Amino acid sequence: MSDSKFVVIDGSETEYREGETVLHAARRLGIEIPTLCHDDRLEPAGACRICLVEVEGSRLMQPACAFRTAPGMVVRTNTTRVDRNRQFIISLHLADTVADRDEAEDVSISRLHEYTEKYGVAEGEWQHVGSPREGRPDDENPFIAFRADRCIVCAACVRYCDEVEGVSAITLANRGGRTTIATADLRSLDHTTCEMCGGCIAVCPTGAMTEKPALFYGKPERELEKVRSTCNFCGVGCQIDINVDRNANRIVKVTSPPPGTTVNDGNLCVKGRFANDFVHHPDRLTVPLVRETDGRLREASWDEALERAVRGLQGVKETHGVDSLAFISSSRCTGEENYLLQKLARAGFGTQNIHQCAAT
Amino acid sequence: MEPKGARRESILDLLHDAGGLRPGAVGRVHLDSKVPEADVYGVATFYHLLADTTTDVFVCDGLSCRIAGCNSVMDELQARGEKARFVSCVGRCDAAPATWDRRGRPETLSPALSPSSDKHAIDLAAEDTQPYDALALARDKGADWVVAEIEGSGIQGRGGAGFPAAVKWKGVRAQAVKERYIVLNADEGEPGTFKDREVMLRRPHLVIEGLAIAAFALEALEIYIYVRGEFGAAKAALVGAVEEAKQRGDLDDRLRWHFVDGHGAYICGEETALLEALEGRRGMPRMKPPFPVESGFRGKPTLIQNVETIACVPAILRNGGAWFRGLGRTAPGSKLYCMSGHVTRPGVYEAPLGVSMRELLELAGGAVGTVKAFSPGGASSGFLPASKLDVAMDFRSLAVEGSMLGSAGVVVLNESVDMVEASLAQAVFFEQESCGQCSPCRIGTQIIRQTLERYLASGRDPKTLAIIPEVSWGMSEASICGLGLAASLPVKSAMTWFPEEFGIG
Repeated sequence: MSDSKFVVIDGSETEYREGETVLHAARRLGIEIPTLCHDDRLEPAGACRICLVEVEGSRLMQPACAFRTAPGMVVRTNTTRVDRNRQFIISLHLADTVADRDEAEDVSISRLHEYTEKYGVAEGEWQHVGSPREGRPDDENPFIAFRADRCIVCAACVRYCDEVEGVSAITLANRGGRTTIATADLRSLDHTTCEMCGGCIAVCPTGAMTEKPALFYGKPERELEKVRSTCNFCGVGCQIDINVDRNANRIVKVTSPPPGTTVNDGNLCVKGRFANDFVHHPDRLTVPLVRETDGRLREASWDEALERAVRGLQGVKETHGVDSLAFISSSRCTGEENYLLQKLARAGFGTQNIHQCAAT
Repeated sequence: MEPKGARRESILDLLHDAGGLRPGAVGRVHLDSKVPEADVYGVATFYHLLADTTTDVFVCDGLSCRIAGCNSVMDELQARGEKARFVSCVGRCDAAPATWDRRGRPETLSPALSPSSDKHAIDLAAEDTQPYDALALARDKGADWVVAEIEGSGIQGRGGAGFPAAVKWKGVRAQAVKERYIVLNADEGEPGTFKDREVMLRRPHLVIEGLAIAAFALEALEIYIYVRGEFGAAKAALVGAVEEAKQRGDLDDRLRWHFVDGHGAYICGEETALLEALEGRRGMPRMKPPFPVESGFRGKPTLIQNVETIACVPAILRNGGAWFRGLGRTAPGSKLYCMSGHVTRPGVYEAPLGVSMRELLELAGGAVGTVKAFSPGGASSGFLPASKLDVAMDFRSLAVEGSMLGSAGVVVLNESVDMVEASLAQAVFFEQESCGQCSPCRIGTQIIRQTLERYLASGRDPKTLAIIPEVSWGMSEASICGLGLAASLPVKSAMTWFPEEFGIG
């Protein structure tokens, strides 16, 4: 082992850190290494082989996602051999999945096709392989579609389901070219341990795993506008990207911001990712309603509605005393909303009768 | 993720007892083992003897069996109404065209082998009456002496890679962790290879004594013996030998002997895939480093050796490392060579490492017809032309020729063989046995098979082969394990030595 405290990548030195992979050391130097099967939340699999780099002293190229640095190690990511391998791996996957970018990205964004463009590989140059991968076309679950023809079998979805969610609803199945992503006995996902978090969709580099509602809607993610928001199904404060079709004024789907950027680290639950169809439901209230003396509800302005509420609450306080009032906030409120409600109860009205329904 | 206390290592046995992937089996194994249902299903579908619950007779379509007419065997079986299918290897190239009947059929010994000789480290023809004196000697002289003799013998692993065994033994001994395992790789499956089966059937005590010596030298108490599922009789021979030796008091009582069945997956002969199988997972090779000597079975230091390698150990200790080294001509030791294909007497022949192909042919009674090409070490070694009959058959000399000794499964091809068809046969094998984990191998093996089929279908238009060089380059550069790294060698070598058959001459 060398006395050096540095790792050299493409001629640049960076401090050696014990246990660090080549991929992470390269990142610190601003050197980008392409990855398909890798996600920082998962144990490295080294399966897609696009991240291979040359390591001095090693006959074979090594996967940057999994290979640990050592003091004095010299790595090269900018050689013709490394470049040729990247092109080879992309060509292989194009021949084994959907080569045409528009078709491949009909719902989700494909990292494979981003690399295809970046590394200048021609689509459709190699004859289609047509691996006999089994899908589950009759899977009746309402949320998650698996399209086997787009799958590069990197198993990021399987590892996510196992390592991050601890659910293990899906697995690699079969062998060789028949290898696919499956459930136990090929059952529908809703008849497995699946919690429909959709994390498999988020980690999929090619869009083989997609949101069924978005698939049926039929507009590519690239043509949607992402609106960052906070999920309002509970108080955790997960950040969500609402994918909006501006022309139709519709929410098409919700995606998670990239891991490492927000509090939820790229994760969402079934509610955050899929429970958004209420937004466009015809029964949804979109303006405040107030009750007339005859008991009927009519539309009102926010000012009028708030004025009515304030009057009612103050009336109770004056007639029966402030502790006749109690404030209960919804478990769907964010932390900030909960704070505001207790402020209203304590500072606004002067009562300690404040509760949150998730606290019981 | 399985819950704490789940019995992951038991699921292959449980699936086997359930009769494979029958309706309800996954659920029952899940309840018994607490391993998630999806995982159980994923594991079951990996192994063809578990996934396939309907076939009774497995017909080998390896190269030697193709030459011998496996198609007519299949026709015959189907005419009799048998449930039969082709598989890539059943480990009986000497009995080509070979079949394996799951319902049980007496396993026969190889019809031909070298006569007994004191120049043979294994000596298949000798009586298997082991006095376990080498083990006694080891105990007497100590672990350091054992390892020094192994090192002095220069023995290279006989499973295929030719890796110096002493490096592994010393590697395990150097670990601070005291929980150590000895694993016997008896998952022989390289088409053309059937030596380990003969060793287990004919000299089981040699194998058991070798393992006991390794356990003594490495201070391991648990021995795992992973036997190919099709080798029931070989496993029974080892089980019997352990019982006998125990009764005679030859073995340390503290040693625990575990027998684990393979369930149909060539790749489990790759040592880290084998470890995955032992742990109840899909047999997908691990990334290395770390190597098994450091982190193997259950993440502990593990010595994994091939049957033939382990069987050489008693003779090495009894006669000394220098004696063993002297048995070889260009590399240390004598070696079991499996001769099949176009030879008069297919069988297992023990000869000095470095013997020439010409001499091996003589041992096997000569070629049938005129030799055109040969595979020196199974499918993974590709092909060499008849002009290379004088090359020394050792690990290094064959590597220099762009081939390898591998497991020394020698397949001889005569003038009647079409090298395109032969390459296609090997391509089919690798495609069927690829584990599917890494893309170069999973997709590359399919491309090679499809390209060769297109070439034949096109009336041999060389333009259809344009993709081969790039795909084989990538497979041999980027695959995770030896299967993918070697899978393009047959077609590449056939194109090199027989260009005219590929329209490029």
